[in-house]
Amino acid sequence: MSIEEKISKYKKTLDLFPNPQEKYQYLIEQAKKSEEFPVELRVDEFKVNGCQSQVWLVPEEKDDKLFFKSDSDALIAKGLVTLITSIYSNETAKDITNSKIDLMDEFELGVLLSPARRNGAFSMLRTIKEFASKLI
Amino acid sequence: MIKVNDIKKDFPIFERKINGNKLTYLDSGATSQKPNQVIDVMSDVYRNNNANVHRGTYVLSSETTSKYEEVRVKFKKFINAYNSDEIIFTKGCTEGFNLLANSLCKNLNKGDEIILSEIEHHANIIPWQMAAKKYGLNIKYIKIDDSYNLDLDHLNSLITSKTKIVSIVGESNMSGMLPNIKEIVSNVKSKSDAIFILDGAQLVPHRFVDVQDLGIDFLCVSGHKMLGPTGIGVVWGRKELWDSMDPVYGGGDMIEEVYYDKATWAPVPHKFEAGTPPFVEAIGLGVAAEYLMNITMSEVQQHSDSLREYAKSKLENIDGLNVIHSISKNAGCTFAMSVEGAHAADMSLMLDTYGVAVRAGHHCVQPFHRKLKLDATFRATGYIYNNEEDFDTLAYAIENSIKMLK
Repeated sequence: MSIEEKISKYKKTLDLFPNPQEKYQYLIEQAKKSEEFPVELRVDEFKVNGCQSQVWLVPEEKDDKLFFKSDSDALIAKGLVTLITSIYSNETAKDITNSKIDLMDEFELGVLLSPARRNGAFSMLRTIKEFASKLI
Repeated sequence: MIKVNDIKKDFPIFERKINGNKLTYLDSGATSQKPNQVIDVMSDVYRNNNANVHRGTYVLSSETTSKYEEVRVKFKKFINAYNSDEIIFTKGCTEGFNLLANSLCKNLNKGDEIILSEIEHHANIIPWQMAAKKYGLNIKYIKIDDSYNLDLDHLNSLITSKTKIVSIVGESNMSGMLPNIKEIVSNVKSKSDAIFILDGAQLVPHRFVDVQDLGIDFLCVSGHKMLGPTGIGVVWGRKELWDSMDPVYGGGDMIEEVYYDKATWAPVPHKFEAGTPPFVEAIGLGVAAEYLMNITMSEVQQHSDSLREYAKSKLENIDGLNVIHSISKNAGCTFAMSVEGAHAADMSLMLDTYGVAVRAGHHCVQPFHRKLKLDATFRATGYIYNNEEDFDTLAYAIENSIKMLK
């Protein structure tokens, strides 16, 4: 599945929930069932700037493809970063860099995905793209 | 008694719906909402009077200059200053502390000491740390006790002949704690010749601060937390201290005579207000101060006290909610909160879905959070436009959010 297809899949799911409370509930569920993040990786090296909650992102390169592991100490943010890492994992650096779709517009998550400097998920999205662009 | 429903009508923001709910705004500790009177006067000045102050000899300039200078007179009354020239306009409390730290510390000697407390806002820490580094000064912190009050015995033990500045918060922006400033000032003054600075950011919007009665030397105020616009604040200081201090910012309007190799300074207050001041914002602040004085600060305080009592009983009865709030009889209507097993950012996102606006994070008091071993809290603060119903909504939303997040 391409990045665009994955985004569209999640968008369809998120759109099933008309109000923000249900959207957050969905993200909480994603966080709860996400792959366990090794506690020893919760270090400054992998920390993405954020203020309200902490977010960690571990990139890995395997056979020309990038894989990301992520975590957050807040549940809703963790749900969102889990979606974001699954969208951009198993993709080439080139595909990630070329993907111009604006998640903020697509996901309509309002305050959760706004370009505030304190927003961990937004910073993570930028970090993924920066990481990919350096590898090209 | 304040009639909250009448007051609310002055604040157009409460017509907004948030996620389909009425707005329950409980983040006035971060910034207050603005009444029509403030919004209108600023719009009127731009429409009818706008011209630079202190410059032109034409009608518009003289009108804006008068309106701007009148604000000093209003503010003198608002905090019972000795003299309206003691009112210096700044961008807010943060600039006020930077101005004081820069101007006062350069006259100190290496090894001199500054006393702050463990619960200070970063605005009352960082400027002193920067100045301390530059001039070789030492900073000491007054400890807080288990009830989040300042440990006055500890303060007394910190005061030495080297203590030159004591700068303390008037109302904690986390726990609502109100230090007994009068007692602290008299202790400090009896043991040293230190200058006493009061951080009025959270205190001045809610309680009458009588600078003469308190015996303080400087007071920093943020306009936007007391119904005024952003970008304007006040530092009040004793005239004789201002007169003896050097300006920090240089530029137009703060000078008397300028030569290519030297300049002389304008008298206080202008010495400290370089460049075009935010005069429209200052005029807005004057109207905000008048708005509060019309209600009367004693009514504003009574409302804060009774709302605090109600909120306290309501919040303390919520299962699983840890409330960080002063246990003293008197405190501000400010409650930092945490939930075991649920992050503050999650809590505030969930509360937002109920139309409840609270602050999440460390509220610019990281050292205090570290001391309490908390990464972040969420905080509710009440003001004149909040009533019991707002705290009922908050409590209901907190209970539901806890259920969802746990």
